[in-house]
Amino acid sequence: MAKYILESAGNINWMALFALITFMTVFLLVVFMVFMDNKAFIKRMENLPLDTEDDMPTSFSKHS
Amino acid sequence: MANMETFYYDNKIVRNFAIATIAFGVIGMLVGILIAFQLVFPVLNFDTSFLTYGRLRPLHTNAVIFAFVGNGIFTGVYYSLQRLLKTRMYSDLLSSLHFWGWQLIILSAAVSLPLGLTSSKEYAELIWPIDLAIAVVWIIFGINMFMTIIKRREQHLYVAIWFYIATWVTVTVLHVFNNLQIPVNFFHATNVFAGVQDALIQWWYGHNAVAFFLTTPYLGLMYYFMPKAANRPVYSYKLSIIHFWALIFIYIWAGPHHLLYTSLPDWAQSLGTVFSIMLIAPSWGGMLNGLLTLRGVWDKVRVDPVLKFFVVAVTAYGMATLEGPLLSVKSLNAITHYTDWTVGHVHVGALGWNGMLTFGMLYWLFPRLFNTPLHSVKLANYHFWIGTLGILFYAIPLYWAGWTQSLMWKQFSPDGFLVYGNFLETVTQILPMYRIRAIGGTIYYVGFLIMVYNLWKTAAAGKLIANQEASSPPREEHAVHTGEYWHKWIERKPIQMLVVSAVLILIGGIVEIIPMLMIDNNIPRIASVKPYTPLELEGRDIYIREGCVGCHSQMVRPFRSETERYGEYSKSGEFIYDRPFLWGSKRTGPDLHRVGGKYSDSWHYNHMWDPESMAAGSIMPRYPWLFENDLSTKYTAAKIKNLQMLNTPYPDNYADKAVSDLEAQAKKVASNLEKDNIKMEGLEKKEIIALIAYLQRLGTDVKVESSEVIKK
Repeated sequence: MAKYILESAGNINWMALFALITFMTVFLLVVFMVFMDNKAFIKRMENLPLDTEDDMPTSFSKHS
Repeated sequence: MANMETFYYDNKIVRNFAIATIAFGVIGMLVGILIAFQLVFPVLNFDTSFLTYGRLRPLHTNAVIFAFVGNGIFTGVYYSLQRLLKTRMYSDLLSSLHFWGWQLIILSAAVSLPLGLTSSKEYAELIWPIDLAIAVVWIIFGINMFMTIIKRREQHLYVAIWFYIATWVTVTVLHVFNNLQIPVNFFHATNVFAGVQDALIQWWYGHNAVAFFLTTPYLGLMYYFMPKAANRPVYSYKLSIIHFWALIFIYIWAGPHHLLYTSLPDWAQSLGTVFSIMLIAPSWGGMLNGLLTLRGVWDKVRVDPVLKFFVVAVTAYGMATLEGPLLSVKSLNAITHYTDWTVGHVHVGALGWNGMLTFGMLYWLFPRLFNTPLHSVKLANYHFWIGTLGILFYAIPLYWAGWTQSLMWKQFSPDGFLVYGNFLETVTQILPMYRIRAIGGTIYYVGFLIMVYNLWKTAAAGKLIANQEASSPPREEHAVHTGEYWHKWIERKPIQMLVVSAVLILIGGIVEIIPMLMIDNNIPRIASVKPYTPLELEGRDIYIREGCVGCHSQMVRPFRSETERYGEYSKSGEFIYDRPFLWGSKRTGPDLHRVGGKYSDSWHYNHMWDPESMAAGSIMPRYPWLFENDLSTKYTAAKIKNLQMLNTPYPDNYADKAVSDLEAQAKKVASNLEKDNIKMEGLEKKEIIALIAYLQRLGTDVKVESSEVIKK
């Protein structure tokens, strides 16, 4: 099994390599940048959907 | 605050899209139930052209994807976009044009597909004028969305909006490339790409229709409505960012997993598999992010039907996105492909992920849009349980059916013969599963109808707040701060977001598809493969019109179980004149790529008249209209000219004599039938003759002994 995988890896196409390298670059870049972000900003962003006035007075729990 | 601005959210457009979602859900799913029962009771095809399975199946898929889910997307986007950006939509006129344009497209699809007007490419079946209309309406939606983003009051773009932007740009790219055609007339067109290339582009499109129509916009909705319903922020905003970039980058590559073991070159298949497996990571990251949003509020899930629907939706997303990559592993795909497993898989996505998320969203929205409590929480809870049960009764029998049938296809006796040499045996074996599936679909539908009633009563009890007042300070113009990172910069700039998303998805598209189009080596030519004759070409168009591709593949995979059953495995060079390709994705009936010459002309004649007369117990519909309709040759010459434009090697000026050639070949087929005592007035003019000619041609080019593969 391992031999088979290694053998087929020998024929690997440049496209596969290109795909892997570009993906890893994009991925690592995103991960790095995300973890460099400051906490206050993330906090504000994640609260954006909750920050509106569309919550109505009626709620489900009242009627269940 | 001193400088607060007052403005009004447009709820009317949200209400309109919500009603359209419900209305087309009622229709699309009803058609689904009908075709599910047709497989068990073929009499339900009513011997009527526009009610046959082949024509209704694309109607069902298009209605559910583009009408039900499509309108669901727009409902959620129009609601959340305004609130996340703290502004009304850019233009009420554009909103309205978008709404009515989209509904008109759906209606034209509802008429054209049953009439057999189809391009046959899965999920892109609509004919070219409708394709153009889709492009126009999609651009209207894009302008409205981007202008709303530009005039926003909130500086930063929440992650849901990133998903909307990526959806818009990717669907635009996919729609354009997969629908490149040269019109023959108002209803027909010749596909620009042929065979393997067409297959690759179709499944690059088809897979990403799932990815960027059924998934990314709904993830955007999840990231908005889940925190709203739970009243707490998403579990990890950081994870949502990684989810986004990783998902859109990877998804676009995965298309070739629909073509494993076909004539697609090996490298493309491998890329499809690898990227599909990689997809598990971002997909599960997203699923966990959704579920973990409920940390600490699981007690609320017990009482709030909205959250219940969301939990099942996100769980179904997780299941479907684990199952998808597993089905992309070649050894598993060898078993599941062409079987009902795939149908079960997509319905976990459609009924579970899209359906349940839509229901949750609608239950959450209606009380807010109409400013009144939900008519009945109890009924919503009933809907939840009925719907969940429906999904189980739908999916499990199909998994069972798919697995059973595939093993039967592959079963050899100790002497080396196929145990189930008659394909029909493997179909009748799983009919009980089809019955349960049809019942499962009906159960799900009953739940849906309960929701319709519940929401109807809710809307009737309240009054639409067409314009909802809100206030917010105007947007601050930020200067770029030092130490500010790139994605904060992107978040503020919708156009940059559009460009970066486009670049990321184009990388996958370009690397995978361009080599296939440019490098001749990828499609070895076969000297004996010749273009279709005019009669075969017309027969092929009838095959397309009747949606035969919905149940019959034309792709013999290189397995002993398939070469024993069907004949020589299919080679890419055999399809170079196939515009569009007709490989299919499901075998409800047997593969037809090598059917040419296997039976007599009269066998096909009788079989199309009444399949049961040739194969007792067959579930194939009858096609009596093919015996009544005269074949139209009005556009034969135009079709030949289009093909010549695309380098199909017909002799010069062949279009002029195409019809006389067609008539000569038709006479030959008719005389063959007459020899078998089949007599009918004007027989040689009937559509059935063309269809027989096409079926008898299928796969015969390489049966010539001297066939020789020439690598150019």
